[in-house]
Amino acid sequence: MGLAGLGILVLLIAIRMPIAYAMIIVGGVGTAVLNGWPIVLSQLKDLAYAQFSTYDLSVVPLFVLMGAIAARTGLSADLFRAAHAWLGWMRGGVAIAAIAACAGFGSVCGSSLATASTMGRVALPELKRYRYSNKLATGTIAAGGVLGILIPPSVVLIIYAIIVEANVVTMFMAALLPGLIAVAFFILTILAFTTLAPGSGPAGQRATRDELLDATLNIFPVLVVFVAVIGGLYFGLFNPTPAAAVGVLMVILIGLVRRKLSLWETREALLETARTTGMIFLILLGAELLKIFMARGGVPQATAEMMANSGLAPMTTLILLLVALILLGCLMDSLSMILLAIPFFWPVLVEINGGDFVAAADSPFGMSTEDLKVWFGILALIVVELGLITPPVGMNVFIISAQAPDVPMRDTFLGVMPFFLAELLRVALLVAVPGIVFALPRLFGG
Amino acid sequence: MTETTIGAGRYRPARLLIEGWALLGGVALLGVVAINAWSILAGWIANAPFPGDFELTEMGTAIAVFAFLPYCQLTGANVSADIFTMRASALKVAAMSTLAALTATAFAGLLIWRMWLGLVDYRTYTEFTGILQIPIWWAFVPALISLVLLLAAALITLAEALAALRTTRST
Amino acid sequence: QEHTLKLHHFLSPKAPAHTQMLEPWAKRVEEATDGRVKIEIFPAMTLGGKPPQLPRQARDGVVDLVWIVNAYAAGAFPRTEVFELPGVHQGDNAAVNKAMLAMYDEFLAEDFQGVVPMFQHVHQGQAMHMAADEVRSPADLEGKKIRIPSRTGAWVLEALGASPVQTAVGEIPVALSKKVIDGALIPWEIIPALKIQEVTDYQIEGPGGKRLGTTSFSVLMNEDRWNSMPEDIQAAFREVSDADWHAEVGEIWKAADDFGIKIATDSGNTHIQLTDEEWAAFEERTAPVVNRWIEEMDGQGIDGQALYDRAVELVGQNMATN
Ligand code: NA
Ligand code: NA
Repeated sequence: MGLAGLGILVLLIAIRMPIAYAMIIVGGVGTAVLNGWPIVLSQLKDLAYAQFSTYDLSVVPLFVLMGAIAARTGLSADLFRAAHAWLGWMRGGVAIAAIAACAGFGSVCGSSLATASTMGRVALPELKRYRYSNKLATGTIAAGGVLGILIPPSVVLIIYAIIVEANVVTMFMAALLPGLIAVAFFILTILAFTTLAPGSGPAGQRATRDELLDATLNIFPVLVVFVAVIGGLYFGLFNPTPAAAVGVLMVILIGLVRRKLSLWETREALLETARTTGMIFLILLGAELLKIFMARGGVPQATAEMMANSGLAPMTTLILLLVALILLGCLMDSLSMILLAIPFFWPVLVEINGGDFVAAADSPFGMSTEDLKVWFGILALIVVELGLITPPVGMNVFIISAQAPDVPMRDTFLGVMPFFLAELLRVALLVAVPGIVFALPRLFGG
Repeated sequence: MTETTIGAGRYRPARLLIEGWALLGGVALLGVVAINAWSILAGWIANAPFPGDFELTEMGTAIAVFAFLPYCQLTGANVSADIFTMRASALKVAAMSTLAALTATAFAGLLIWRMWLGLVDYRTYTEFTGILQIPIWWAFVPALISLVLLLAAALITLAEALAALRTTRST
Repeated sequence: QEHTLKLHHFLSPKAPAHTQMLEPWAKRVEEATDGRVKIEIFPAMTLGGKPPQLPRQARDGVVDLVWIVNAYAAGAFPRTEVFELPGVHQGDNAAVNKAMLAMYDEFLAEDFQGVVPMFQHVHQGQAMHMAADEVRSPADLEGKKIRIPSRTGAWVLEALGASPVQTAVGEIPVALSKKVIDGALIPWEIIPALKIQEVTDYQIEGPGGKRLGTTSFSVLMNEDRWNSMPEDIQAAFREVSDADWHAEVGEIWKAADDFGIKIATDSGNTHIQLTDEEWAAFEERTAPVVNRWIEEMDGQGIDGQALYDRAVELVGQNMATN
């Protein structure tokens, strides 16, 4: 029954049914077939209200709003200008500056698409001006955009934390170091790219000392917002929702002081927030209905037992799950994927790790289930984010293509491939050395 | 992000209404921001955080999210996977869009019916927020308005999809 | 089976409430009906929604049975709130649980429209978990930010001069460790699940285990579902959920509470039982909460004074006869 439901879900998604509605149909009709229509109809009286008024989820629209406003206060341009002043003189330096600026913007924005589109608007014209190859230029921004969710705050990570009942702040701590490694890997990728094909990323101008100083001082506001919000979270000054609220307030103040936030820009930011938030919460409602159907059909226990009894080595299972997410990422957006896959994958991992209360020493992964939650969350975050840059459906690539209509989408997909390989390398590194994930949470006692 | 102006095209009054309603939802979200910031400041300065922040955040977020749904439907913000249908004919695409719009219409209608009964239910068996004692059913009123607008938005997208279906069939 | 019932609740399947109360109860019902009834338990809201919606789910027949915290749906069960008032719970769960059963027909039944209670109970009571402050008098709580357990819990804290703060249960440890709150009002039983011992120094309660109020819980069945079952099965449910079971549930929660405080003291925390004299100052300050509640009930046309008097009387009687 559950399997038939999943089959119909895939079919509906294949015929371009919005993913949220595909989930709502399968979840609702599936429950009705199992236990009768009256149950579904009764539950619909207040299920949507309950889902939308869940406190833990309230942080999501606030981080979306924060990113939408930040994108309109000139912060992204400042970040790029500073990075450009420091790095522009190198071969590939303008692209490296774009990656650094993406990382900076990712530290105040919770979404990958917003980062890609914002930085695309700022950096693409510059990359073109310095005669960067189309592949490197568009590939860099499409890949750099994923730093929006890899570096905290991250909407996808919040949803993951809610599903597996992990602490959001711990997840945000765990994500930072791997995020910085991603930045380093991306920069190395650009260096390799421009070494192999020197013409693709010519060096830019060297900035004067005054320009350097001026540009650097200009990114001070971003630093303040990041330290206040993420630092405040790490040091426990506040919980996630108030932290996000403070972040929104700060970017509004920056925008007002700089006279960048006109009424029109505010309206645009609110409407962008409306689109992203509405889309996310409709998917969350669909996921809730699907969860109900699966629970009534006894699917989660059945799959967990099946996987646990499959006789595969734990590490093989883990890698298979990650590969499955990468493949799924070819078709779906990261949030739908997390909501669809994690409720199935997580119980499997708990089961093969030896249950909820296993001691680290006795577990096949060498870590408690609480730690496994954090480690797997970061791994899953990376591989679902890969879906944004893999063909045929790669949302970041679509966004950049829309901004650079003269570049064939094929070139963008090709340009992003080296970054994709760098990401695979990073996943391998984090699988081999889980300590990277735990370093910051341990340091802050999270 | 994509250009968000939607005033053009047919059904202009309905479109403007839906956009204005989404903006009101955005204002509700700004209200949530204000409540949380106020609570934090009051907690730090006066050592007296505002005890109702929790439930007002829940209620405000829900009201905002409902208000966003019609705008999402109208601007096609609900993501779908285009992979299997990238090479599909215009006719097939139009047919699939019609099906998606029909689904949205049915969903909006169903939810109006059910949440209306939900409102009645929450008035009969009254439930309040924990601290400020705000009746929960109050939040159902703006939510129902949002759902009516969602129905309007779904009908507009349905009309557009049907129009596209007609044009592709006649060519 | 003739009757397969779904029981929905909000806690994890590892919680003592699930393993030590709900599962054994379900098993006894199955045995008492010779297997004609089977109860499937769905923990952690797996059948959807938020905890406050559980009573509606039972009333609407979305599920057959629910285990609820009455106060989560604020205002839905005004009468059973009487057991949460300071001075009713005297540190003896079993006595309160049996009083709930005894008072049902005359005093409480109107709270339960469309649902039939199987049994009702309280937990061991709200005690003070303090991150760093030793509390011996209401003055020690002055201005402290304390996480509230419920509406009346907030009144109690206000009466004691503290600042009530709303925090999700799961956020309590972080909030305590980072001084977002200075303390929390919850029973000891929560300590192991949230590792509260690691973020607090003091666990404080009144003499003889007296607490600052408690929380009421119910197991409810959909009314139509109940009426659809033959009398002998209904009788089996009643027999399994009799006064002895109410007392046993009290013992189960007391044992979980004792285990919690043991974890805390084993890890080096200070467990303070206030003296009668110290406690008197708390009782004096919290006494007006009862009047505030009675006045509010009067406004709703409920005789709060009668409820309160009867509850105190019955709990006292039960404690004397135990
Ligand atoms: Na981010
Ligand atoms: Na993809």
